[in-house]
Amino acid sequence: MLAQVLLSGIATGCVYGLVALSFVLVFKATETVSFMQGELLMLGAFAAVLLVEGGGWPVWLALPAAVLVLFAIGALLEGGVLRRALGQPHLTAVLLTFGLGLMLRGGVTMVPAATHQMHRLELPLAGVLSLGPLQLAGEHLAVVLATALACASLAAFFRFTRAGVALRACSEDARVAALMGISPTRMHTLAWALGAALAGFAGVLLAPVTLVHPGMGLIALKAFPAAVIGGLSSLPGALAGGVLVGVFEALTGLYLPDGAKDLAVYGLMLAVLLLFPRGLGGRGAAA
Amino acid sequence: MRRLLTALIALAVQFAPPLHAAAPGVTENRIRIATIQDLSGPIAMLGAPIRDGIVMRLDEENERGGVHGRRLAIAVEDSGYDPKKAILATRRLLGSGEVFAFLGNLGTPVVMATMPLIVDAGLPHLFPFSPHQATYAPTHPLKYQLFAPYRDYMDAAVRYMLQEKGYRRVGLLYQDDDYGLEVMRGVEAGLASQGLELVERTGYKRGATDYASQIARLRAAGCDLVVLATVVRETVAAMREARKVGWAVDMLVTASGYSAQTHELGGEAVEGLYGVSVMPHPYADAAEGDLYDWIQRYRTRYDADPNVWSAMGYDVADTFIQGLRAAGRDLDAASFSAALGQLKTTPGFLGGPTYQFSPDDHLGNRRGRMARIVSGRWQLVSDYLD
Repeated sequence: MLAQVLLSGIATGCVYGLVALSFVLVFKATETVSFMQGELLMLGAFAAVLLVEGGGWPVWLALPAAVLVLFAIGALLEGGVLRRALGQPHLTAVLLTFGLGLMLRGGVTMVPAATHQMHRLELPLAGVLSLGPLQLAGEHLAVVLATALACASLAAFFRFTRAGVALRACSEDARVAALMGISPTRMHTLAWALGAALAGFAGVLLAPVTLVHPGMGLIALKAFPAAVIGGLSSLPGALAGGVLVGVFEALTGLYLPDGAKDLAVYGLMLAVLLLFPRGLGGRGAAA
Repeated sequence: MRRLLTALIALAVQFAPPLHAAAPGVTENRIRIATIQDLSGPIAMLGAPIRDGIVMRLDEENERGGVHGRRLAIAVEDSGYDPKKAILATRRLLGSGEVFAFLGNLGTPVVMATMPLIVDAGLPHLFPFSPHQATYAPTHPLKYQLFAPYRDYMDAAVRYMLQEKGYRRVGLLYQDDDYGLEVMRGVEAGLASQGLELVERTGYKRGATDYASQIARLRAAGCDLVVLATVVRETVAAMREARKVGWAVDMLVTASGYSAQTHELGGEAVEGLYGVSVMPHPYADAAEGDLYDWIQRYRTRYDADPNVWSAMGYDVADTFIQGLRAAGRDLDAASFSAALGQLKTTPGFLGGPTYQFSPDDHLGNRRGRMARIVSGRWQLVSDYLD
């Protein structure tokens, strides 16, 4: 039973981790905490549902397409709105993301088909795999594999592509990067677009597990502590933070009194901040 | 000076009350009422069919010439499940002076915020979709309700499951809010009647995504029946989790989970689930006679299949019309309330319960019946439970 619950925790943790990654990606490149990642996640899931149910697309095509749609939405939001906050106090951008999130959610609830029923996105992997006494849900395995895949491609992107290296350079020191001929505005766009795409990807992965509905974005409330635990500026830290939160939550749910599960995550975050003020993945004070 | 005086007199004549003052919203040939629904918020999937059901019943009455020669009109306002918006809408409607009563307002937060305004203005507050006791008790001449609190239904349902099916070890998975606690009290009351207690209870917050640890706890406690104080999505998720780990325990969900969406989304995993039903779901392919005709009319009109909420909306409007008939042609809030206080409805083809009011009990029905998902649809397995 313990192993079973652990597995579930890891799968949930991977989704937290992906959303946490999108928080960190945006934060590193723009020094803004984005409060609309949950809404972007919900939008990603709805985009996939729209393509499958409305457009009749096959699922394997609709999923990457939904992620691309979110990439485009991220770029549009940056170009149309968030770029104007460059050079303003940080709070401006933070509040902008908050407002944009409200508008995104409001926009979705204005579509009758979105609110009048719940939608289900069937992955071809649905089913249960038995491994001795363990029962692995296809959707959970898919989540874990897809998260690993997304992290590997993200790492490769940052290491081996010009755009990835440029983005890293920009987040290290935007001024020096600009002197080297990198356009900071373009990198700003790229960071927001990638952040949106990652959140959308998490939404698509979450869709078969929780069904698609306008309140899906609430999961960001758990992903944000995961990002903080991971150090807010470390990509591997965010993923580890996500899995840690997922597993911790599952264990407290199993062993501690009822209700502790929902507090545990925030307790963990406080404890980590107390012991490691820069988060588990953050660099030491000397760096 | 003279002209000013004439103008003032003209004004006074214009705004003076007519000689026999009619109730607000009631004219020689029309009765105007209002409803506040959620058409864009988190429970719009209930609000839209409720509205459609109400409007359909009123229009059908109008086609037959209305009640005592008066046509029925309704103003529908969207609250988005937001009490602030609901209050603004209520004030606007009250200010217009053209509303006779509020019918079937949706959502406990909305109802709690708006009911005092409506009742203070002297208008009947009828049959809200909110299982809160304050909607009918303490008895108030303007407050009438058709739907009992979850506690009453669940108490009876749990007693039925213990007595008829012999369950002994009952666990509870509940949403950690007023709704979940209300259900918990009902379940505990039902268990206490047999000298039992809950063997395990475990909660979740709205928006939770994973129920593995809750199901593991309930399983470890050795439950033979799990009561679900959940809504559709969590019902499906909890049953899928249990079946995934190979736990074939029986489950019982509240009336909130009694929805066609539960088996449409849950499929194989929710087979065998028990539920509390107040109004049977109108399945189109099994319908006959009047029910079949009704479903066809609904489909033609709205281009969608009716669900249990459409049926409830229709029933609410039907009960209102039966009240108007009983009140007679001389209509105001007092005469209507007096007539409603004596009313016993005749149940229609939708299969709902009989609603009966008395001058000191304004809750029309306290009884639900048991249903079970068999072959992918809800089937009624008991009569109305006492």
